Formats: sequence, structure tokens, C-alpha cells
Amino acid sequence: MDTTRTDHRPDELIAATPQTLWGMPAVLNFALGGLGAGFYVAAVVAGALGARSAMSLAAWLAPALVLAGFAAVAAEAGRPLRGLRVLSAVATSWMSRELWLGGLFAVLALADETVPGRGLRLPATTAATALVLAQGALLTRARAIAAWSVPMMPVVFAASAAVSGVALLVLAELLAGQPPGHGVLATMLVVLGLGLLAWLAFLTASSDPAFRYPTAPLRAGATAIELIAVGYTAPAVLVALALAFPAWAPGPTALAAALAIAGQFRAKSALILTAGQRRAVTLATLTLPRRSP
Amino acid sequence: MRWGMVVDLRRCVGCQTCTIACKQAHALPAGTQWRFVADCEIGAYPDVRRVFLPMQCMHCAEPPCVGVCPTGASRRRADGIVWIEYGACVGCGYCAVACPYHARHFVDDGAGDFAEPTPAERATAQPARRGVMTKCTFCKERVDAGRLAGLVPGVDPDATPVCAVACIAGAIVFGDLDDPASRVRMLIDGTNVAPLAPEAGTEPSVYYVTAVAPPAGIGPRAPDSVESSRPDPVPRSSRSRAEHSFDRPALEDPALVWLRALGA
Repeated sequence: MDTTRTDHRPDELIAATPQTLWGMPAVLNFALGGLGAGFYVAAVVAGALGARSAMSLAAWLAPALVLAGFAAVAAEAGRPLRGLRVLSAVATSWMSRELWLGGLFAVLALADETVPGRGLRLPATTAATALVLAQGALLTRARAIAAWSVPMMPVVFAASAAVSGVALLVLAELLAGQPPGHGVLATMLVVLGLGLLAWLAFLTASSDPAFRYPTAPLRAGATAIELIAVGYTAPAVLVALALAFPAWAPGPTALAAALAIAGQFRAKSALILTAGQRRAVTLATLTLPRRSP
Repeated sequence: MRWGMVVDLRRCVGCQTCTIACKQAHALPAGTQWRFVADCEIGAYPDVRRVFLPMQCMHCAEPPCVGVCPTGASRRRADGIVWIEYGACVGCGYCAVACPYHARHFVDDGAGDFAEPTPAERATAQPARRGVMTKCTFCKERVDAGRLAGLVPGVDPDATPVCAVACIAGAIVFGDLDDPASRVRMLIDGTNVAPLAPEAGTEPSVYYVTAVAPPAGIGPRAPDSVESSRPDPVPRSSRSRAEHSFDRPALEDPALVWLRALGA
């Protein structure tokens, strides 16, 4: 693992330090939000394409996952009882927008299930997609954290939600005793490939040392192997095996789905806890008069 | 009017008096320091220097902490002071991960040196500041009260932030950045100043005089040193007594005097 700093900037006065305010509750918020929203969108798309749909499960499980993420992150706040105030700065703050979109999604998804046929599914799907993008944009605005403050973070979050959402859909169908069809498995393979591409694009998004140093453990070493091999490559190989040998499909498929979901949790954890380092403090014009020989 | 500060890195000796003055004036709980002086090393061997870097909220003109705040608790006044309304803050920490200057501090609900609050902690406890984000306020209450009393912040100590008043080296200068006659403006216009992390694009109101001179007695001033090529814009008559003490020539090393005597 790349733990030796060779990219010190000459004008760096205070080195990068890990942020400590956002911990596992924030990871849960981002991971459960992506999982819930992705599951709902995957279920809606699967149903629209005529596949067996886990819609009735997604209608309550997806909002429950999103709300559980909000509850987790509320526990991390210093004054959780003031939580409703977070809704008040929607014009400027992505955290406000995230809460609004998550709440809207939960209401629309549950209303669609309770009173079907009202045309609420499409707005709920839109809200779920926007929630995931808002979570990515929220990190983009965290200017102190170079690893988060990259424009493509919403794309990373969208790809992550798609991977974990399709995986949960596959797992739900298996648990319901309905092995997913070739179409769903092929879709999972494609989504895993796109997710991996998005993750690799993120890891190489910037050549700025402020970004390269905190993301180094995500590019090489044990964490990188966990994230890429376990989270993307192994599930893809297992899904390919399931497609090639349909008779043995349920086992590898279930394992692939579980690994993909766990991989996305691990990716969010690495992003927040490992790569979440505050920028070094620099002073560009600091001059150093030469000592006499 | 825009309040700002100039920190002269040539003068700072890293004594942390500003840190303690701030902590005492604002009754900050254990573990919380709105300002601190970082002990930094710059350069590469053999040209290495030790630099003391006073850090605090930069009261940016484009403060990223204000825009991200989900409750509107983080605000910027018309005079440039960025502050937090404690009663509206949820303590989510979003402002802390948005601030590139490590200037936001979360005050834990159980912050204290011991299991039970000490008498001093009880006397200075501020429940409104528990579980929320806190930061340097540029001593806005002191500045506002001073102005109401007809004093001039940056000139009159009673209307000036305590860190600037307490600094033993006159390294911290406070004043109106928009006033061409203010000391901060003259220092900015007349010396080699720069803000921290300009790449963050936040337009800080705190500037640093950056030419770092070699320690006295080690060698001659470098010819390319900005400090040596520009006149000091601050009139000597306006300096405090503490600053004047820095105008004295460095004392000769007693060991060198003794060796020279032996040689003679």
C-alpha cells in the first residue's frame, strides 16, 4: 500500500489530516440511501420491462432503507432534535436537498403502494434518482476534502446505487424462490462493468497531490483489492458462471449479489473514512531566503 | 467595511499567547481552540526553516461553510465577519468538511477535563455552545461594543480582537480592509502578503506576510528577499512598544565573543 508520501507540495505547511466528524453513521446514510434508491429504480425498471418484479417489496423496503440512513446520520449530529431545521436551506445546501428528496421519495413510494394507479411511480423513481445524485453533490461541495470535492462524485454515487440496487433486486427474487432470468443477470453484469468503470474513473479523476494522496489506499493494497476484486470482479465472474450454467445459477447468483452489496458498503466506507482527509494547508508565496554558506 | 487581519510570519515566535488569550476570552471548553499556532517546517535540507503559522477562521468573502449549512446557522455579516447562530445549528459538521482552513470546531456535549465539571468549567459553561459547531468570531461582540463606544477596531485595544491585542510580537494586525489608511490595508499593499490555500477560491480576509527571514546572526539577508527590498509601510510612530522591541539589533552570541577574545 502506498503509505509513504512522495508528493509533498513545497508550499505545504500543515499536512493533510483525517476528518473525524463524519464516521460510520454517515457511511450508513450514504450506503443505505444508495441501496434503497437503487433497489426501487431497479424494481421499477424490471417491472416495466416485463421481468418478474419485486415491486411490492421495494415499495416499503426502499423507503425504509433511505429513512434508516437518515436516522443513522441524525444520531451523529450534535443536536438531532433540531433535525427539521435541516429542511430550511434548500436553496443553497445539498444536505437540505438530500433530506427533502429522501422524504419526498419515501412519501411517493409508500403512497404509490398504498393507493396504486395514481401515477406516483414515475415521480418516486425520479426522486430516488435525484436523491442519489444529491448525495454525490453533497460530497462535491465539501471543499476541505480533496477526495470528495470532485465533479464526478454524483456519477460515482449513481453507479454505486445502480450496482447495489440491482444486486438487492436479484437477492430479493432469489429469496422469494424466483431465480432471476437471463435478462436481469445480463443487466447485473453490465451494471457491474459500468460501476467498475465509474470507480476507476473516480480514482484517476485528478492528478492533484491533494487528491492523489488520500485516495492512494483505494488504488493499491488490501483496500483496493477488497473494493475492486471482491466488489466488482468476483460478482461479475459469478454472474457470468450463472449465465453459463443455469442449472447451478442460484448459488453463484446469491453470492454475487451479496458481494456486490457488501462491496458498495465497503466503497462508501473507504470513501468517507479512509479518503476523507482534510486538505493540506498551503501558502503559495512563502519565500525561503538562502542561508549563507 | 470589511474586517480583516494580517499575520506577519516574520514576527510570530510561536508563543501561543494568542491561542490562550482567545481560549480565555471566549471560555472555550477543554479540547477546543478557535485558533492555534502550527509549528511548521519548510524547505529541504540544508535550506530548512521553522515557521510558526497562526491559524483561525479566515472570514472568507466566499465562505464555503455558509453555502453548505443546511439550517442557515452559518452566516456572513455585511462587515465580513462569518459567524454561527448556535441556536439554529444542528451540529452536522458539514461546514467543517467544507472549510479548507480547519477552522470549525465541534463542541462535544461531554467536553471537559474530568468526569465532573470543575468549578471553573461550571462558571464559564455555555450550554448554547454544546453539540454545535463553533469557530473564531473575530471577537465580534468586542468589535461591535467598541464601535458603539466610539473606538476604532484595530487601533483601540478595547475594540480589537483579543488575539491581536495579546500578541507579544505585534505579529497580528486587525482592521478594515476597505480603509486605505488602516494598518492592515497598508501592510497588504506594501508587503509580500498572501492568503492561505488560494486554490480553494474562498477569498480569505486573513493575509500572511510571507517572506521568512533567516534567524538573526546566521547570515546576511538574501538579496531576493522581498522583506529587504521593500520599505516598511507602517509608520514607526504608530507601532506599539512591543513592536519597537523587535527593532533592536540582535545581541551577539556570547560564545562568539568569548572565542574571539581567546583568539586575540
